[in-house]
Formats: sequence, structure tokens, C-alpha cells
Amino acid sequence: MRLVCESVGHKYGALDVLDGIGLTVADGECLAVVGPSGCGKSTLLGIMGGLVEPTAGRVFVEGAAPAGSLNPITYVFQDFALLPWRSVASNVALALEHHPLDAQVLAARVDDALARTGLREFRDAFPKQLSGGMRQRVGIARALAVAPAVLLMDEPLSALDAQTRELLMEDFLALWLAARTTSVYVTHNLHEALRLADRICVLSRRPGRIKQIVGVGVPQADRALPAAARAMAELAEQLWHAVRAEAVDAEREVADG
Amino acid sequence: MADRRPVPFRGGGFSPIPVRHAAAIGFAVLLALWEFAVRHGLVSPLFLPAPTTVVAALGDLWTAGTLWQHVSESLVRLIGGWCLGTLAGLAAGLAMGVWSLGRAVGVPLVSALFPIPKISLLPLLILWLGIGEASKIATIALGVFFPTVIATYSAIDAVPRNLIRMAQSFGLPARDVLRKIVLPGALPGILAGFRISTSIALILLVSAEMIGAQYGIGAFVLQAGNLMLTDQLLAGVLLISLLGLAIGTGLTQLERRLLRWR
Amino acid sequence: MIRLSRRAAVAGAFATISAPAALRAQTLRKTSVGVLRLSSSGPVFIAAERGYWREAGLDVELKFFTAAQQVPVAVTSGDAEFGVTGLTASFFNLAGKGALKIIASQSREAKGFPLVAYMVTNAAYDKGFRSVRDFAGKRVGITTTGSTFHYELGLLAKKYGFELSSVTLVPLQTLPNMQAAFKGGQVDAILAPVTLARALTADNSGKVLAWAGDETPWQLGALFTSPRAIAERRDLVERFVRGYLRGTADFNAAFNQRDAAGKEVHGTNFAETIGVVARAVQQSPELVAVGLPFVDALGRLDVGDIYNQIAFWQQAGLVGRDVNGREIVDLSFVRGHLNVPKS
Repeated sequence: MRLVCESVGHKYGALDVLDGIGLTVADGECLAVVGPSGCGKSTLLGIMGGLVEPTAGRVFVEGAAPAGSLNPITYVFQDFALLPWRSVASNVALALEHHPLDAQVLAARVDDALARTGLREFRDAFPKQLSGGMRQRVGIARALAVAPAVLLMDEPLSALDAQTRELLMEDFLALWLAARTTSVYVTHNLHEALRLADRICVLSRRPGRIKQIVGVGVPQADRALPAAARAMAELAEQLWHAVRAEAVDAEREVADG
Repeated sequence: MADRRPVPFRGGGFSPIPVRHAAAIGFAVLLALWEFAVRHGLVSPLFLPAPTTVVAALGDLWTAGTLWQHVSESLVRLIGGWCLGTLAGLAAGLAMGVWSLGRAVGVPLVSALFPIPKISLLPLLILWLGIGEASKIATIALGVFFPTVIATYSAIDAVPRNLIRMAQSFGLPARDVLRKIVLPGALPGILAGFRISTSIALILLVSAEMIGAQYGIGAFVLQAGNLMLTDQLLAGVLLISLLGLAIGTGLTQLERRLLRWR
Repeated sequence: MIRLSRRAAVAGAFATISAPAALRAQTLRKTSVGVLRLSSSGPVFIAAERGYWREAGLDVELKFFTAAQQVPVAVTSGDAEFGVTGLTASFFNLAGKGALKIIASQSREAKGFPLVAYMVTNAAYDKGFRSVRDFAGKRVGITTTGSTFHYELGLLAKKYGFELSSVTLVPLQTLPNMQAAFKGGQVDAILAPVTLARALTADNSGKVLAWAGDETPWQLGALFTSPRAIAERRDLVERFVRGYLRGTADFNAAFNQRDAAGKEVHGTNFAETIGVVARAVQQSPELVAVGLPFVDALGRLDVGDIYNQIAFWQQAGLVGRDVNGREIVDLSFVRGHLNVPKS
């Protein structure tokens, strides 16, 4: 399934947040969106997911969702958004309960999602008993359970410590490589973008406009290889250069009040 | 090195740790002092009856067989009034919590009506509902209603919006968002509100039983006060606080069961 | 609080001739009396305003309370040295613990003085509740158990031979509650103070069957103090009673006069005296004139009735069996008490 943004813009009252975003996420592609804080990355993702109403432009999906997809456009949240009063399995089940599924089918889907995220032995734990990384695994399991056609991830690792982030990133990559679900990955961390994305979209400071879209030539599986090191380093340099200019200006703007 | 000194410990304190049996011992010492002061004429028994006298007054009620009558009539009013006020308060609080128009209309109304001393409405309640059980139950229900409304809609406000967005992102219908996200999320706040509303119900018991009640703990306390029978007065007060303690303990148990996840 | 009348000013002027004002003021002994703003406390207001206590060597502070129960409590706790108010079960419970002694009378329910009405609702009246003999089986609103209204019904029950236990007494705590219950028809009858009775008859909400004073005269109120004051400051108590009795005499002379046919006539200094009372109770003189009780000119008590009150409350289980009338009443301050039981 493809996701298409047509000159999407957004204003909070007088504040111009996003302006003229035209973007197509190809079927099976992972697009990262990076940019300085406050550039409207999360708002853009909200608009793509139908959680924020754009004040200009529209978002479309094109193509059929894969068979068995219950919730074509599915979110993974920065703060996990788990229900503290539900167990791990029950949190995953929440995404399925309102669909007309047999109890066994539902249980099987939950089991499968838990198995893929390594959460089987934690199925009866409550969120407060889990570490941050485990909690985000629940968030991912919940998203996998509905077999999404488009996965929208809003800084999914930024609430975690550095080591956990590395570990989860590896898991992400493995899951994504296995399924190749169309994905949009919003982050302020270039390292994550370079590791996961096929293309990286740099947004300017507020009002967010597309400054640059960079394709990462190297396949995800090969990026950690020594042979790719030079190309990856150059790309990182180029991206950082683009983001840095915006970040410096955004910083000044905030300081000027 | 010659000039070597240990670093002195300077932390600690300012963090109370539970001391076993301290509460019970403190309470017992206080009661003993009180009893001693009255027995030895340091305090006139008229001004402050000794604990034993108060317990004896309670014992008299028991032997006269009226204790249960007082307690049961009060319980009927308390339970009836509280349930009525709570159900209405939950409904209104929910409407105000999730519905903008309900909020716009409700908040100023609650602000205007909450502070009215219910006792000043007794003559009106008598005119509307008579002097039977209805007006007594209504007095308690009115007192319970407003704090429940406030607790409910504040509790709904306190439900993290991102959980609601999450539910919407998975396509949960509005009814399910309410049932699976909003209500369970508001439960801790609502239960905390119950502590306040049950206390208010107990406080209003005396007011409610001002309306022509022959039996009831409130009526008993009122009559003891009117007759200057201070030992009976304190016996009645003791009953009310025991009732309060029982309700509080019950609510703690309920919270432990329902809010295990916290 | 109470403005000095001309007479008091004159008395003060004479005093300055014999001694400097400051010295004179120093010799006055300070004391206090707890009262309600009711016309039945008229003798207190009169004695204060006309300087009768000043002339007896006392500087009396009036302490105002809002409910009859508060006055004996204030005397018990020492907030006031004397008190004047109606007698209730609560009073006897306090007095029975050795905290109070009655020394003179205040108002009395008496024939021809409409103070408290037996009022029935129109509905009850239409159903045949037309006489004070018909109370059995009815619902009657009173303020509280142990109140003067409660006792008045007890006296009525005794007089007409019905069982008080056959009457459902509904304690409603306040007069507004009683009024609401009466108007709403939730009780068949109430005992209504004269102002409430007039208001209810004026808007045709019910009918007055009779007045308590006409049916069952009794000793409604009294002047009292603490046993300690009598034991330790007998002289001060005597001076206080002296001033108070000049107040009762003025009150009686002005307000309690009746002609041969029993019709009310204005007595000595009526207008000025009613002004004194009206200012103290903060109501119009016209309103005060409507509800003036009988006060014995000599401050004599109906001692037999006080004993009867105690017996009545004891029988109702509202006053302890150990309370003894003889220990509560001190007959030595006023001469010629009425109806004194022979021991």
C-alpha cells in the first residue's frame, strides 16, 4: 500500500506548523522523517494517521491492504500508550477486540504478536512491571497484531536509554526486513534514520517544509558492513549538514522569543 | 596522610518510617490520660465525659435494644442517599467530562450550587418531599452529588489523552473508547471521590435526621445535644466515626482490588 | 449596647456630685448575664437600661445568645454569671450535675397571655381535629425532644387524660422546618409561638385551637446562676436579684395589666418600656407588643410546677433519676414563692 501526501499544511491558530508537504511513501518502503524539534514531524505523522486534521491538503492511501490486515494505518507511539490497567496480552488484544474475530483467532493473533516481539513469558505482566524497552515491545506487538499495511512510528525509541535503543533498533530492523511493511519513521536521531530508512526526508524549521529527500543507496542489511562505512559516513555528514543549519536557526528563534 | 579525617554522615532523617503499634499505643495513652483526668476531677464529667462513661452509654443503647434501630435506620438513609447521589453524580460528571456542551453548562451550575449549605434547604426539602425518608435521603443525595460530579469530570480530564488517541488509531468505536479507556482511566479519581462523598454523607446524616427522625444515629446525637447529655452525645459521635472508619476500610479494600495495576 | 435612658443619666449625674466618676465606676462590681433577644427577657433589658443594677452597685454586661440551650451552658462554663431563659430538659440535665441554681422567675404561661398556640392544619381540622382533646393518634411537630413545647403537650395530655405516647411527636429542630412541615401537611398540628401562629393564620394555613397559657399555665422561664456564685458571692447575687426584680416590676406594671373583663390595657410607662424591649430584641415596638408574656412582678416562681417538670422529664427518660428539684431551686433570694410543695 502507498501513502500519498498532497500539499499538506497545518496551522495551530496563527502558528504555521507545516506547509506544502507533498510526499509519496512507496509500497514496502521505509521513509524516515527528520528535522529540528518543533518542525512539525509528529504533526505530519498525526495527519498521515488520521489523528490530526490538516488545515490544507489531503492524505491518500493507494492500493489494497494485505489480506488479514485489520487496521491498515497503524501507529507506534513515543510514550508507548499502554493501558496500565491491562496486562501485556490484554493490551495487545485491545487492538483486536472490536473486530469480529473468533476467540481462538484473536488469541492466536495475540500469541503470534507476542512471540515475534519476545514477550511470551511476560504476557500476564502489567506495564508498570516492565522496563521501557519491554513496554515499547508491547507497543510494537500491538501494532503487529492488526497486520498493518502502513506503519507510522512516532519517535518510538526516544524515550529509551541508549543501549535499549540499540537493541530495539536491531529487533525493529529484523521485523521490518521480514515483513517489508510500508513505514514512516519519525525521529530526531540521524543514526536511527540511517540504519532503518530507504529514504530520509529532512524537514526545515517551522513552518516545516521538505528541505531535502535523500535516498540511502545501501540495503539495510549491508549498512553495518565495513565496506559500506565510507558511503554511510558521507551520507551522515551530508544529512547532518542539512539538519544542523535548520537546528541552529530554530534554536536562535526560540532564544529570541 | 597525616591530615586524614573520616567524612561524617550528614544525611538521614526527614523520611518517616512506619513504627509498629505506635498508633495503637498513642491512642491508648491518650484515652488513659483522658480517663484519669476525668476520674480525678481535673476535668468536669459534664464538659468531657470519661471514655468509660461514653462506652457505658453505648452499652445502655445496646441493652435497651435501640442501638440496632438507630444504626439500621441511619444505614438505610446513608446507603440510599449515597447511591442515589453517586449514580446521578457519575452520570452528570461523565456528561461534563466527555461532552463540551455538558461541560459548558455544568461547570458554572456546579460552582453555583455546590457551596449551598444543604441544611439551609431543609424547609424546602420538607415542602417538596415531606418529612418521611424521601427528604432525608434527598439531603444526603444532594450532598453526595456535587463532589461526585467534580471528582468524575476531573478524573476524566486526568485520563491521558494519548491513550484515547491510541484507541482511536486502532479504530475503536466511541462506545469502546468510553468503556475501555475513559472509565477505567477515571476509576482511581472516582474512587478517591468516593472517600470524600462517603464522608460528606456521614456529615450530612445529622442534618438529614433533623427532619422529624425518631430513630437514627444523627437523630440520637441531636437529641443528646439538645438534652445536654454529653456522654450520649459522644457515644453517638463515636458510632458515626466507627461507621466512617468501616467505610474507609471498605473503600481501601475496594481500591486494592480494582486498582491492583497501580 | 443599651443606650442610657434619661433616668439613668440623671442617676449618674447625682453620683458625680458625691464622688468623681472614675472612682464611682471602680466601685461597681462587674458581672454578666446571658440572655436571648426575646421579649420574655424584658426585665433584664429594663434593669440594664434604667440603671437598676448600677444603683445596686453592679456593672452588668449583657451577653446575647441565639438559642435557649446556650444560656445555661454559658453559665455552666463561666462565660456568664447569670442566665435567664426558658426551662427545658437540657436545663435540668445541666442543673442536675450541680452546675445551676434557679433563683427567680422569668416568664410564665398564664391565662390571657397568648404566647404559644396549638395549631392544626386545615386538612386535619376538616377531618375533625377541632379540639385540644383530640391530640391522641395525631402527628405533632415540635422543635426538639425535651423542649418547652414537648412539656406543654405533656401538660395538655395530663389535663385531658390522653396518653402522650399516643401522640407522634415529630422533632423538626427549627421553626422554619416546622412551618414547612405544617404548610406541606406533613404534620397534623404544631405548637407555634405567637408570631408564627399569626403568620400561619394570616395566610389561612391553619387554625389556632387554643393557647397554652389558657390551657395549662406553668413556669416557663427562670433566672439562674451557678451554685458557686451563691456560695462565694452571695452579696453580688442579692444585688443582682434586687436590680432584676425592679425590672420585673416595671415589666409587669407596663405590660401585664388587664381590666375587669380581662382585656389588655396599657400600663405604666407602656410606650417607653416597649421601646426599651424593642431596641434590645431589635424588632419594631408593634411586633413586640403582640407577644408580651406574663412576668411576675415580684419574681416569684411556681415551685410546684418546676418539680413537676423534673418529674415529667424523668418519666420520659430524658432527665436522670438522680436530679432533685430541691437542690436545683434556691428559694432564699425572692420572698413568697408560689405553690411551694410542703416537704
